Amino acid sequence: MSVRETIYASLTVLAAVAISTAARADGETIAVFTKNQTNPYFQAVRVGADAAAKALNAKTLHYIPTKPDSIPEQLSQVEDVVVKKTDAIVFIPVDYKAMVPSVEKINAAKIPVVNVTDRSAGGKFVSFVGADDYSLGLETARYLFKKLGGKGNVVIIEGVKGSLTSIDRVRGFNDALKENPGVKLLASQPGNYQRLQALQVMENLMQSHRQIDGVLAANDAMAMGVIEALEGANRTADVTGINGTKEAVDAVKAGKLLATGDYNGFLQGCVGTMIAIRSLRNEPVLPEIVLKPTVVTKANSQPYETPIESRACPAWDEASKLGRN
Amino acid sequence: MGEADLAVTANPLQRIPGVAIVLLLLIAVFGVLAPGFVSAANIANVLVQSTLLLMLSLPMTLIIMTEGLDLSMGAVLTLTSLMVAIVSVATGSMVLGFAAAVAVGLAFGIANGCLIAVLGIPPFVATLGTLGVAQGLALIVSDGQSVVGIPQSVSEIYSATLLGVPVPIVLAVLAFLIFHGLLYHTRFGTYVFALGGNREALTYAGLSPTRLLIGVYALGGAMAGVAGLLMTARMNAGHPTAGLGFEFDAIAAVAVGGTSFERGNGWLGGAALGVLAVGVLRNGLNLMALPSSIQVASVGALVIFALFFDGLRSRS
Amino acid sequence: MTDLTKQVFAPRALISGDLLQVFYRLIAALLICLALTFLSESFLTLANVLNVLRQASLLFFIASGLTLVVLTAGLDLSVGANVALSACLAGTVIHQTGSPVLGVFVALATGAVIGLLNGLMVTALRIPSFIATYGMLWVLHGLTYWYMAGEIIHGFPAGFRQIGSGYLFGLPIPVYLMLIFLGIGTMFAQRTTWGQEIYAIGANPVAARLSGIPLSRRLLLVYAVSGTMAGLASIIFLARLNSAEADVGESLTLPAIAAVLIGGTSLFGGVGTVFGTFVGALILTLVLNGMNLLSVNASWQPLVTGVIVILAVWLDKATRRGE
Repeated sequence: MSVRETIYASLTVLAAVAISTAARADGETIAVFTKNQTNPYFQAVRVGADAAAKALNAKTLHYIPTKPDSIPEQLSQVEDVVVKKTDAIVFIPVDYKAMVPSVEKINAAKIPVVNVTDRSAGGKFVSFVGADDYSLGLETARYLFKKLGGKGNVVIIEGVKGSLTSIDRVRGFNDALKENPGVKLLASQPGNYQRLQALQVMENLMQSHRQIDGVLAANDAMAMGVIEALEGANRTADVTGINGTKEAVDAVKAGKLLATGDYNGFLQGCVGTMIAIRSLRNEPVLPEIVLKPTVVTKANSQPYETPIESRACPAWDEASKLGRN
Repeated sequence: MGEADLAVTANPLQRIPGVAIVLLLLIAVFGVLAPGFVSAANIANVLVQSTLLLMLSLPMTLIIMTEGLDLSMGAVLTLTSLMVAIVSVATGSMVLGFAAAVAVGLAFGIANGCLIAVLGIPPFVATLGTLGVAQGLALIVSDGQSVVGIPQSVSEIYSATLLGVPVPIVLAVLAFLIFHGLLYHTRFGTYVFALGGNREALTYAGLSPTRLLIGVYALGGAMAGVAGLLMTARMNAGHPTAGLGFEFDAIAAVAVGGTSFERGNGWLGGAALGVLAVGVLRNGLNLMALPSSIQVASVGALVIFALFFDGLRSRS
Repeated sequence: MTDLTKQVFAPRALISGDLLQVFYRLIAALLICLALTFLSESFLTLANVLNVLRQASLLFFIASGLTLVVLTAGLDLSVGANVALSACLAGTVIHQTGSPVLGVFVALATGAVIGLLNGLMVTALRIPSFIATYGMLWVLHGLTYWYMAGEIIHGFPAGFRQIGSGYLFGLPIPVYLMLIFLGIGTMFAQRTTWGQEIYAIGANPVAARLSGIPLSRRLLLVYAVSGTMAGLASIIFLARLNSAEADVGESLTLPAIAAVLIGGTSLFGGVGTVFGTFVGALILTLVLNGMNLLSVNASWQPLVTGVIVILAVWLDKATRRGE
């Protein structure tokens, strides 16, 4: 090429780069929908979303129902966001079936949306980022049964009746039971994912059953309630939870809780938001990232002890490999 | 506060109901601070979002006027919404689903009325009890899960428009006109006023307060059935906990609107304004994307402020 | 309307209609115990009975203060949210200062302040108690959510936790506290002038004021007591659960009101006893305990509770008809 042609070519390339970077460093707004303000899991998701947005120069807006887990409220919030027209949405449905019309509204408004945690029963999403409740339940239960040497009496404390996470986790527990015929299931009662309820249910179960060797709790709050009940009655049993909250990790380190299934809210929030931002910037994404099931035990608890506020969101190359495929 | 009372007070400011002032304030503030608040789409949204609460607040006004309360409305709404879902899925017919919802709602309404008027159980207690029964039934018939696969004829109720106006708004306006006519232009309406302020007068007139009271609560139950159809249409599903807590919102809207718990007065327009005030507040805060904890606290502040304001004016 | 003089000036007889009502309820509670003993072999064990008593105590602490409010024909819907905020603040203080005593003080103080604010709204601002405490409930929730930001405070000193899970001479400590407050509450309501005045206010506020009872001050008192008892309950929650979250105590507001009503206290005021609330709390807890022991489907629990509430109040009316 002649000198002039080279100069023109370089100027054009420079101009193109300038325009595209200006378009990219945009400060997009991402609306993040979570279920309630009280469950630390959703706080972790929100912190993760904020971390990802900050790293990528975008902004998050949080939408949480004022009445915890309220379907009508989330419906209204979606309608309001559609009017407001944020650039993208990261969505945890309060109910995976009832929120489908809302997702369809979002689709009709042509706002890209990423599904996180609870897999919605319908609607079009850019991607799904979540953990596999079933595998988490299965692996956690397998760990407990291994510790019990394949035999003993166990009870299951279920979550909220009808919630997808509870259904899948308990299904995992039950399949692990099938693999271990020497383990006997004494009872399976719901604790509503609530600490006090699980405590009282466990207290009552301990009355009807003299010997309980293991307890599978569908989440950490209930597992902690079970531990309080056991300590109060001066009995011991191996207890597992699911969520990987700081409190549970501390308890695992202290030897009070046997293990907890890692339901990494921080990671789900940050990867989900990353995908939303990337799709807005026309960067490649994956249609689904299902985190590998990890059971947090005394042996591997170290990395989980970092508080969520200090954690950093992994870069895309690393994040894209987190899925099970 | 009947229509006549508004004209009696001397101070012109006192003639404007507190809830109207609060509503205007909210609209003014959000008009400036909340992006997108004043758009046609948003106004339609707020109105449509408020229809469910209005359907419950209208009969609740009448009930509170009789010095009563209906705590079971939210749970009955949940149950009727499930009935719409289950029956319409089983039969494919929206009409049958609607009929089932109204029937169940009426049953609970009549049950409430009987417990209160015949057995003499205080309304708070009686409806607290039926709340539990309705909530339990909702969990049992749904087994704790959402009911999906709703025929389109149902969800269309929520999304369809009549001459450009969304159907829910049409239904809400219709309901308001019907209740307004019922309360202020029929004998039944005068009886309802009497049930609150002067129950003996009814007996002297040879009427049965018992039957009238049952009628008022039955009306509440039937409206819960209508609202159930709207709710299922909106969610395109029935859910065993979706409507819980609505009764408190309805009671708050009615009280904010100027209906008193003690005297036998009541103002339907006020209840409607109260419903709008709550809806506008939530919508505005959503558009401003304020932290959810502030949203929660503001709802409480709104309720307290509106009644404090009313109390101030009625004393001066 | 009843005779003015009889309402305000007659001292409450020891064997009054109220006591008879409580007696009937005690019988009902015993019948339930009998049925459960028959249906489940694990019911009548020492451990289970102590469990039931301890579970009932949580309900009782909240419901006892509430009883005084209901006696004045009022209502306090904010008690659950009160427990949550008090627990979260107290939990933070215990963590930061390592002093359980300071934590207890903060919990009681927070509860009392909230109660006083409720009372002020009712007396000074003339807002109906239903609305005032309902608004307060939302404001408290907002404050608590903002303060906790989705986190949990966990891990309290072992000595402090004894308050919730410890035993003294074989009885759980919360049960001792329950019996103590039952005694204090009953003495206050039945034997002090202030208590009598509270009954009078509920029965006939106009007559009460005419006879010189300082209405506002007594109302402030009952709301403050209700709030302080919620603060006390929050301490037991902290000790028992070894943690504080933003929704602690949430699920106990309606059961607390139900316990007060099942116990025979009337929403119209002037009728009821703290002991009745104690029995009401027992009955509710027994039923839940029974359903757990018999592995009854959890969906049936709200239904059963609802039916019991209706039955209890209906029986109350039916048996009082003679008076």
